[in-house]
Amino acid sequence: MPDNWTFVVAAYLLAFLVLGAYWRRLVRRDRQLRTRESRRNAPAHS
Amino acid sequence: MIRLLGWLSALSLVTGLIMGFGVAPRELTQGNVQRIMYLHVPTAWVAYLAFGVVFVASIWYLWNRAARADQLAHASAEVGVVFTGLTIAAGSIWGKPTWGTWWTWDARLTSVTILFVMYVGYLLLRGMIDDRERAARYCAVLGIVGALDLPLVHFSVYWWRTLHQPPSVLKPGAPTMAPVILAALLANVAAFTILYAYFVAKRVHTLRREHELLA
Repeated sequence: MPDNWTFVVAAYLLAFLVLGAYWRRLVRRDRQLRTRESRRNAPAHS
Repeated sequence: MIRLLGWLSALSLVTGLIMGFGVAPRELTQGNVQRIMYLHVPTAWVAYLAFGVVFVASIWYLWNRAARADQLAHASAEVGVVFTGLTIAAGSIWGKPTWGTWWTWDARLTSVTILFVMYVGYLLLRGMIDDRERAARYCAVLGIVGALDLPLVHFSVYWWRTLHQPPSVLKPGAPTMAPVILAALLANVAAFTILYAYFVAKRVHTLRREHELLA
């Protein structure tokens, strides 16, 4: 049977992109929360 | 701790890739396309694990209404949907050169798709209900009902005549594969399990902080 490397590369590339995108989403959400928390904890200026 | 899990998952994924592409040999009948197994099987295992965790956390939530249990179920369902989607996609890519088709309404493929759709519905349900307590309660029920599909997915290859092969590892008796291939597979299963733990820990952390900000 031929090796079909294209299919192997496609499967791993897709996994890399999907998992990478999900990780980036988690990191972005974390950063947004940190900003909101720091705004909330900042002393109010008169 | 979460950061450590992140580094550990990156390291174990690299090890898994080395095992899958450098150590495991070319399979005799399928050729190199069989290396998709080192991605497809671990993601399927993580999908089982994720929805199993949703099941346990949902029971825990209904038992004592702990916010932590709901956050764990929510995070695990989200990660489970990502991994189930990947399992279906990788299986489809593997199916084309080996079965000659991208898709067939085979018992295993159909039951996994039902599982995927059910947990996408679970996440949509969470987003649709504004009252957090009510959303958590409804989702806990759906999380328990949805997990009933897990044995159906696993045993579908025994109960119906399917194109999908029966399990090679999660079955009674010794695994029926060469030790070096099994070692590469287990390395990848471990790597993806650590990645699952990292994603869930990070998601639970953000959900807890969101909960505190809204309180």
